[in-house]
Amino acid sequence: MILPKFTGSREEQARDVAEALVGLFGEAREEAKPSGYVGGRQEAMEALGKFRVGGYAGSRNKLGGGVSRLSFYIRHGVLGIREVAESVRERFGKSFDSVKFWQELGWRQFWRHLYGQLGDGIYVDREVSKVPLGNGAETDLPKEITEGRTGLVCMDETVRELVETGYIHNHARMWFASFVIHFRKLGWKAGERFFYQHLLDGDPASNALSWQWVASTFSHRAYLFNRENIQENGGMEWCARCTAKCPFDATYPELERRHFTK
Amino acid sequence: MKTGVWLHGDSLSKRDPALQKYPTAPTVFVFDRPFLETARLSFKRIFFLYECAVEAAEEMRVGETVEEVVGWMKEQGVERLAVTESPSPRWREGLVRLREQVEVEVVPAEGMVVVPNGYSVKRFTPFWKDLGREWS
Repeated sequence: MILPKFTGSREEQARDVAEALVGLFGEAREEAKPSGYVGGRQEAMEALGKFRVGGYAGSRNKLGGGVSRLSFYIRHGVLGIREVAESVRERFGKSFDSVKFWQELGWRQFWRHLYGQLGDGIYVDREVSKVPLGNGAETDLPKEITEGRTGLVCMDETVRELVETGYIHNHARMWFASFVIHFRKLGWKAGERFFYQHLLDGDPASNALSWQWVASTFSHRAYLFNRENIQENGGMEWCARCTAKCPFDATYPELERRHFTK
Repeated sequence: MKTGVWLHGDSLSKRDPALQKYPTAPTVFVFDRPFLETARLSFKRIFFLYECAVEAAEEMRVGETVEEVVGWMKEQGVERLAVTESPSPRWREGLVRLREQVEVEVVPAEGMVVVPNGYSVKRFTPFWKDLGREWS
């Protein structure tokens, strides 16, 4: 069946696409609204042209840092991975920042390489976990998490941004995954599905193996974070308006004792 | 022989290597109904793909990918297909089924580094040390 090329504003086109593809996306109650991030090569080239690599290495871990936000274009081949790397080389030359950026692009190719080797094996624990995990029986995350109603502002805001825009910073992805896997002892596969459904850059291998990296089934150690880490990299704003008893407000040895002791 | 290019979700723009090789070829993208019925991607993801496909592909279709591609080839008088390689198991299964019916040329995907055949490592650090020298 041919899918027409619709005309009109983005919102009008979104309504037409939603009607034509009804039953093929999201939850029944999902509103058919486009993300603020626009698909297509023209937009991708503009975004690439605006990206500046200066300061990347020092700020990329901060939520407001100088990350490229090109991942969704690269994931879908709208920008070529080599094209992006060469654009940075031609415009900014080789520097500490460029090398760090290229390394992060290299991860994308690494995930692709592993996907070619492992196929659907990316959805199976690659190694024995290094810490106790939940039984992983859940197919979905609890609604209080996916609807952003945990009361933990940092986690709820992360979910809100993901669902509304289809993009969140990598550090927020790591915090959320660690929260799901280690603080709530839920299975990584349920979290992986949630991200895959919403991330515009959702890539099977990158997503599944990164969740496994946090879980420690694809890494030497489990990934944990604490409140200090969130404040250092995400700022004070979330904590300032949070009234919950913070489960992250502890030292790493204490968090390890709480969550990794059988 | 008239060649057509099948664009898919890993290579959805005019940058597609198969399209670079056959720049005047007609192009098609398929929203795969069986996959989407189970994956339940958010509307934002679907619409992002639609925006990429609108720009990249001459024709967009909805249905079972192999059936739709073969149907499109017949309608367009396309005799052979070119497509960019993907690591996805679903893509590979589709390729096998397509090859039972039509001639398909697989064009290598764009890479930052060249990964030799049979190369295998478990972690990124040795991968990048071995292959990422151009970018280090």
